[in-house]
Amino acid sequence: MSHNRHEEGRQILGRVKRDQFVGRVAELQRLVSHATQSGRLERAGHPVDRRGLLILLAPLAGVSELLRQAYDELFNKRESVPIYFALPQTEATAVSAAIEFLNTFLLQYIAFRRDEPSLCQLSLTLNDLVQLAPADDLPWIEELIEAYNLQRFGKDDRELVRFCLTAPNRVPSRNGRLYIFFDAVQLANYADSSVPLAAEIVRALVFSKLPFALAGLRREVLDAVGRAGGNFDSLDVLRLEPLGEEDARKLVVSAAHRHQVAINDETRDLLVQQLEGSPFFITAMLEAARENNLALESYLACERLYVDELMGGRLNRYFTSVLEHIAPEPETRAAVVRLLCEAVPTGNRTASFEAWRKRLKLDSVGVEQLLRALHIQELVNWDGETVDAAGASSVWKDYLRSRFRLDALREPRALVVADVMAEALKRAPQTIARHYRRVAGLRLRELLGEFNAQLVPKTLFDFAAFAARYKGATADEIAAGLDADTALLRLPQVFHTASGVSLSPELRQFGEESSVVARAFERGTYTDDNEIVWLVAKLNSKLEADRSLVETWCDRLAGLARQSGFIRTQLWLVANEGFSPEAIELLRERNAYGSSQQQFELLSARLSEGAGAPQQSDDANEFSLILPMGGDNELLAATIVEQVARRLNFSPEAINQIKTAIVEACINAAEHSLSPDRKIYQRFRVENDRLVITISSRGIVPPDIQGYLEEGPVEEIGRDESEDQAEQRRGWGLKLIRTLMDEVEFERVDEGTSLRMTKYLRKSAQ
Amino acid sequence: MEESIKSHIRSHCVGTTAVVYASDYLNKLTGERIERECKKQLDSGARALVIDFSDTELVNSIGISILLGIIDIAEKIGALVVFSDVNDETVQLFDMLGLTRHVVLARDEQEALSGLSTPPTQTQAISH
Repeated sequence: MSHNRHEEGRQILGRVKRDQFVGRVAELQRLVSHATQSGRLERAGHPVDRRGLLILLAPLAGVSELLRQAYDELFNKRESVPIYFALPQTEATAVSAAIEFLNTFLLQYIAFRRDEPSLCQLSLTLNDLVQLAPADDLPWIEELIEAYNLQRFGKDDRELVRFCLTAPNRVPSRNGRLYIFFDAVQLANYADSSVPLAAEIVRALVFSKLPFALAGLRREVLDAVGRAGGNFDSLDVLRLEPLGEEDARKLVVSAAHRHQVAINDETRDLLVQQLEGSPFFITAMLEAARENNLALESYLACERLYVDELMGGRLNRYFTSVLEHIAPEPETRAAVVRLLCEAVPTGNRTASFEAWRKRLKLDSVGVEQLLRALHIQELVNWDGETVDAAGASSVWKDYLRSRFRLDALREPRALVVADVMAEALKRAPQTIARHYRRVAGLRLRELLGEFNAQLVPKTLFDFAAFAARYKGATADEIAAGLDADTALLRLPQVFHTASGVSLSPELRQFGEESSVVARAFERGTYTDDNEIVWLVAKLNSKLEADRSLVETWCDRLAGLARQSGFIRTQLWLVANEGFSPEAIELLRERNAYGSSQQQFELLSARLSEGAGAPQQSDDANEFSLILPMGGDNELLAATIVEQVARRLNFSPEAINQIKTAIVEACINAAEHSLSPDRKIYQRFRVENDRLVITISSRGIVPPDIQGYLEEGPVEEIGRDESEDQAEQRRGWGLKLIRTLMDEVEFERVDEGTSLRMTKYLRKSAQ
Repeated sequence: MEESIKSHIRSHCVGTTAVVYASDYLNKLTGERIERECKKQLDSGARALVIDFSDTELVNSIGISILLGIIDIAEKIGALVVFSDVNDETVQLFDMLGLTRHVVLARDEQEALSGLSTPPTQTQAISH
């Protein structure tokens, strides 16, 4: 019976319930598995001593809840005795922290032995603990406390620290197998202590017989283990980066649900992107929203809260505390803020140690300590000589700028707050757009990474041939044609891919992931002759790419190849709608491949299986419909709206106008090439005298889209200007809608578009 | 390489006039099929095109832009284009975009053929 009770999973130290703990599930499993299997691992049939697990943390990646959850799981499993200790943020000395460790260890040990989890939450003295100790443990606990009392009044602080930290070794092995979770994220706060706490913690753990997990900022922990002479070979390593996108989304949704904060898909994605997947930032924002009883259902609400938090809330307190610790003297702190602030926006990434010394007016040792502290927090990269301030998080940079304006420039707070908010609001859609572009670009890079000497139809790289064969063909016909194609191309084996920007920074203006450099070998053997570099670019063109665009990109990529010293190259351009005849000619002249997005998708499907995004549906008060983009699905919408319109007794002519309008609206929505979910959301609201239809899609808002609605009456087709004609067509849909419907307007949404169209019954009947 | 994919567009020739039948929904895919068929007919010597819309219930702007391309191609080689049996709603749409200024509209295929004054020498089914 008791076993079942334990299996239920009591929440002991965890701050969220197990089923609400999202984002680090795999890491939790790994941690628990380490705790239950450490000392019993084998490699090639031989036991391996892997008692220690180093959890190397990127700043703000969050680890405490992970350790607490692992603690709870171990406690409930009853196999090992878990001990969780986090270095206090406010304790100023190594001695007080070590004493706290001793107390926590005894408290949690007794709680486990008595199987009374609630004891873990109590604050008890050592005498209280002796009273609670099970009889079997009383002898060694009394002996420990007696020894501690002797040690406590000694003069050697280091000895006392060591005594406390090694206390778990005194537990007789027959009384249970301990596992120590040591959360040392706050270790930097003890850097000034008279006792080298980092070294003592590492020694106490690494040189003891007990299994453990030591978590801390990666740069600091690695440094501490190295300095303490720890053997890395005997340690497992778990790296914690900021959450990946999917996990970060789950965390936002879970935390919002827990705190009863209303969010939507758009703000969820904004929080994930803007807060860079940091569990700390995400949790802080949602806690703040709960405290202020705010709904985060618009970019404005998110950014308002963000700026509040940055200027005076949790985010501000966190960064202020880090900064105050790094530079306790106000004068030095102000100089550091100025130095960092000047470096970030100007792109002047690196400065010399000497330059910092002069500006800070400190001696070399002081500057070294300060830079080391900044380096550990990853606010700069310091290699002993140069200081690079470019890599820190954008939230930190926002904090820094506002701090600089307030403290150094003494600008009025109201001005700074409004400016920061305006900047944040302007940046929000850009952040999301950049994210979508990056995702789209990543697909290019991912696809190239899958090139592994497969044979694929050559037509997938030849737009002219593909168009000649498959224009007007259905998906099944194309698939059958490609399957039967005997002209095949052997892909190279790609061993490395990089963004073109990483080799040629001037390409940044076209987007971080618009071009990819893929290093590869042909014919499966690794020789100089077979080495080849594929230079690939996704062209930003709604229509068929023309000769001039293709020429520009061919030149850019060729230039990159020259600069980088690539000998054999293959150019491959991907344009959404393919290429004009003149562009195709140029591709042939340059021996370059050219594919449309459709060819790209077909190639992608051939190389790997795709996964669909989840679908969602809501809104009980209206007819609503969610359709995947493409595949003539607009006809489904037209059929449904026809039924709805008939119920309202619209005339056949009006029904046809509504159908045409909805078809055009769907096509328009589908043309947002970077829609993340490729879905069209439709709502039909029936009112007494009108039908209101709203067509929405997520993604990037096409520039000047509003202009198509605001311009004059629908224009007739200018057939003589073939280039402009295609460009004109983009606007026809919206202009047609405006002509066919009575009222048309774009609703303001944070992301993508939402087009509301109204048709009046009386008006249409006239 | 194989021959081109079958377009599934119904068409036939009456003398040097090709009659091509549009399907129920004129969009990018079906528009491109009509375009392909029309080009094929023109390449084979047709000097007039009748595009019949008797089955067509709905057209979209992409389909219309493709029709415009067909008109262009035909015009360049001096071929005439007639649209037959276009429903009122679609005529309204063509009007709106000025397409009707560039083609002749006929009530039905027969009227189109008569209008083109093409002697009905032979009728040959091309594809189905």
